[in-house]
Amino acid sequence: MAFTNLKLYGRPLSSATRRAAVILIEKKVPFEFVLVPNREHKAPEYLKKHPFGQIPLIEEPDGFRLYESRAIGRYIAEKYASQGTPLLPTELKAKAIFEQAASSELANFDFLASQAVKEVIGKKREGLTPDYDRFNEIYSELSAKLDAYEIILSKQKYIAGDEITLVDLFHIPFGSSLVTIVPDVFEKRPNVSRWWNDISSRPSWQSVKEGVHSTA
Amino acid sequence: MTLKLYGYSVATGTRRVAVVLHEMNVPFKLIPVDLRKGEQKSPEFMRYQPFGLTPYIDDDGFILYESRAICYYIASKYSNQRISLIPSELKANALFHQAASTELTSFDEYAAEIAKEKITVPLLGGTTDEVAYERLLSTLSAKLDVYDVILSKQKYLAGDEVTLADLYHLPCGDLLYRAGTDVLETRPNVKRWWDDISSRPSWAAVKDGVKGTTN
Repeated sequence: MAFTNLKLYGRPLSSATRRAAVILIEKKVPFEFVLVPNREHKAPEYLKKHPFGQIPLIEEPDGFRLYESRAIGRYIAEKYASQGTPLLPTELKAKAIFEQAASSELANFDFLASQAVKEVIGKKREGLTPDYDRFNEIYSELSAKLDAYEIILSKQKYIAGDEITLVDLFHIPFGSSLVTIVPDVFEKRPNVSRWWNDISSRPSWQSVKEGVHSTA
Repeated sequence: MTLKLYGYSVATGTRRVAVVLHEMNVPFKLIPVDLRKGEQKSPEFMRYQPFGLTPYIDDDGFILYESRAICYYIASKYSNQRISLIPSELKANALFHQAASTELTSFDEYAAEIAKEKITVPLLGGTTDEVAYERLLSTLSAKLDVYDVILSKQKYLAGDEVTLADLYHLPCGDLLYRAGTDVLETRPNVKRWWDDISSRPSWAAVKDGVKGTTN
């Protein structure tokens, strides 16, 4: 079946779907948003495209498919390097610092932030009662990580250096959800606050914050 | 100046980096950081690694932390000299990053917690939470079912050539055995892949503890 624009499969308010959509918009890549309704991501048809049965997934007109929102972000930033916002460094050491920040975002931030958000927002959405003791335990670990972010961001403007990169943008969806649970989570640290206000006010996030939709 | 690896000889991240240093034939000194004494939380250490985690490297004054970032840097810097562990073509590179992301989100997240519950907790005098362990094992098993499907169609996780994404699995994969699980044995394609990567000389050199290769 022929189609002309990249397809982004996901759900409008999914954190990972919004993560990928932000990058597509920053790089000015028009896309068709394809809704994967609840439970269909585990159906055989979808599993043929995404063996782990998760969202998001992209599909290009030539049949190329890719999953993992951060891998999607990297591919789009690389393929469309010459248009939109530059989001990837090119020099060896700058790329190493970028990889350091990217690994840190997953291991130090996402690992804890996703659990914290799931414990409160996820459980409430399913009609369950959050375990606030567990939330506080996770939040306390996350706070220690944000103390390290405060030191890093006191020396440079963004998380991988003085230019914005993919890694800053990767933080936004869970960061935004965290703010709804603990309003001053970023505010209480001056450099983290400066950085958070900068990245979360970008038009790309503003346009997907309330839900992803097609731009093509 | 010889590269310095600040780490703990049997720690996961330290072993991960050492595998790639061996793969790329890069001489290095191991500067021991004693995790049992909490040396990674000292001001001297955290000056270079603000999260207080091992390892980090000092490559002639260039400081870098996060084991996978260090692996990526070493594999990139020396890519002309030895084998290539990172594909350079656009789509192959994208599939590499898909596999590398999968390693963190679908393997490491569960394998590391299993190792903590079954190995570290008893070592520190605690009791394994068997309920948590069973839940983690069940989730990991489901992920490895998918690995088996992927590896039935291609030799390695990013395609038919070995990449960093495969090697990243070695330290935690090894810990799964030490934790007493056989999850990597019971699926034919996963077993084939695991036997392949774990028989590499670079892994044999660091499996039981990292040692520097120069003085």
